[in-house]
Amino acid sequence: MRKDIFERIRTIEDLPTLPSVATEVLSLAQSPEVSIRQLSETIHQDPPLATKVLKMANSVFYRRSPQPVDTLHNAIILMGLTQIINITTSISIMSSLPRDSSEEESIRKHYWNHSVATGLIARILDRKLGMRSKGREFVGGLLHDIGKIILDAYFHEDFMEAHTLSIAQHRSIHQIEKEVCGTTHMDIGFYLAQKWNLPPYLSDIILWHHTPSKASFPDITSLISIANQLAKAKELSCGGDSMSFILSDEDSWNILKERGYPVDDLDLERITFEMDALGDEVTHYISTVSDSTPTE
Amino acid sequence: MIEARSAPPQMMTDEIFKLLRDFIYETSGIFFADDKKSQLENRLLLRLKAHNLNEFDKYYYLLKYDPDSGGELRALFDSVTTNETSFFRNPTQIQALQEQVLPETLAKKQMAGESRLRLWSAGCSTGDEPYTLAIVVTEVLKESIPSWEVKIVASDISEKALRSAGAAQYNEYTLRLVPQTIKEQYFTPNGDGLYTVSDDIRSLVEPGYLNFADARRVELMRGFDIIFCRNVLIYFDDDLRRRFVSQLYDNLNPGGYLFIGHAESLHNISSAFKLVHFPGALAYKKD
Ligand SMILES: C[S@@+](CC[C@H](N)C(=O)[O-])C[C@H]1O[C@@H](n2cnc3c(N)ncnc32)[C@H](O)[C@@H]1O
Ligand SMILES: [Fe+2]
Ligand SMILES: [Fe+2]
Repeated sequence: MRKDIFERIRTIEDLPTLPSVATEVLSLAQSPEVSIRQLSETIHQDPPLATKVLKMANSVFYRRSPQPVDTLHNAIILMGLTQIINITTSISIMSSLPRDSSEEESIRKHYWNHSVATGLIARILDRKLGMRSKGREFVGGLLHDIGKIILDAYFHEDFMEAHTLSIAQHRSIHQIEKEVCGTTHMDIGFYLAQKWNLPPYLSDIILWHHTPSKASFPDITSLISIANQLAKAKELSCGGDSMSFILSDEDSWNILKERGYPVDDLDLERITFEMDALGDEVTHYISTVSDSTPTE
Repeated sequence: MIEARSAPPQMMTDEIFKLLRDFIYETSGIFFADDKKSQLENRLLLRLKAHNLNEFDKYYYLLKYDPDSGGELRALFDSVTTNETSFFRNPTQIQALQEQVLPETLAKKQMAGESRLRLWSAGCSTGDEPYTLAIVVTEVLKESIPSWEVKIVASDISEKALRSAGAAQYNEYTLRLVPQTIKEQYFTPNGDGLYTVSDDIRSLVEPGYLNFADARRVELMRGFDIIFCRNVLIYFDDDLRRRFVSQLYDNLNPGGYLFIGHAESLHNISSAFKLVHFPGALAYKKD
């Protein structure tokens, strides 16, 4: 009875592709000797993208100095190569994937709110735990559920069915996906990540964010796993289940603890309360990415 | 009656503020920090008037040394407590109770063949919270309610608030968060803008006096499945918070839940509980 959607994905020819600049920036990120000039030139190949990156670097999300940074070059000096690479990746991925939909019941809007929320929460936790992921955690949060957008776009009816069942039965969406679609958003996302040649830590997050004990990059995958749950607790889920959870009982939590991160020192209540403004921040982030007017 | 000759009360000196503050803290656990002097002064003015006193020291001596000051102590508690509350306060917590905590608790009891369900509204004020709990339990149990033995204990230090809880009459404002269908089902309007809680709901709730600073009496409150102690700990200092919360832990059955105020935290107060995240709400679970 199962439809093997996974097999059918392989035959789809018009799957979304990564913009060429993003591909180049990501491969620069893998090379040990990338220079400021190289990175800035690569981003400048796509002038609207370069404008957005600069705008983001000056936004409340990243701004570090009272004076705005006026060139990409200076932004890299101030914020570091890795951070700019991650900002660029985030923006170009967000701009290349479908964001709005005419389908009324589509999860797309929730999807982006959830993804950005997960990224922002991962950033907060990364700082509090001193993990120094340098923006990788944001990209990871943004992309962890990427398989859902493919399921939604190409197998809409099956996916919506899984979605409705998940809410009705209070069961997690990936279990139901397996029953209805014969595959999960993690597997589909992983397939896309391979196809796009995403860096290994990202494919790892995409594949294992619901079972971080299997990850090859356990630190960042656990971080995203926790951020994902907190985003849902803040009612920023992309639909589906909204079950309760005890973080200190989760694998992700215990992995970070075993690996020496001070999770027990986190004031989770306070962090949860501070996230009350998250919905507004998410909207702000998305509009910063969407808006193409240059900074003053 | 206020006599014509009584002069306006004198200002509260820092010295008498400290004496009164310490007395109130010792007797009720309610703590007035240094910046709350004028608040305390305002709240006690009526007590001074009631005894026709115009100096705070005299009132202090009355509390401390008058052998008949027991009644005055209760009146003092009425004036120093904040009874602000409403039905369905912090709806996301009520939703977590209705959709997850109660179904989980009931399922567990059924498995174990138990039929007693006990909730505690600790710091119930005028009754809005315990009656809300009673309504939610009734909504969840539906037709099966007769086969359950439900009790919602409602405790407070303010007798004035407890009298309101007993009367069970409420105005539109305190019912503002109540969904219309619930209002129609469980309340009867009595014409002058007040609504009376239905007998079925009232019969589940047992209001009574309890001072949370009285550790020996708090200890007797055993066997609860769910405790709501919202917006009460904020009036205590850290010592009493720690002691009282650890008592609440003991008062819960294993697997029981504690809800505290929407923006309150047990971080640094207790590490005995597990923090549980619900959509839009937090609660604490005893393992
Ligand atoms: C702000 S009300 C909270 C009412 C309700 N729980 C809610 O959240 O809406 C606080 C209540 O705690 C009660 N209270 C304060 N100190 C107390 C004590 N030592 N023992 C018992 N109740 C106390 C007050 O009388 C008051 O009614
Ligand atoms: Fe997921
Ligand atoms: Fe997710």
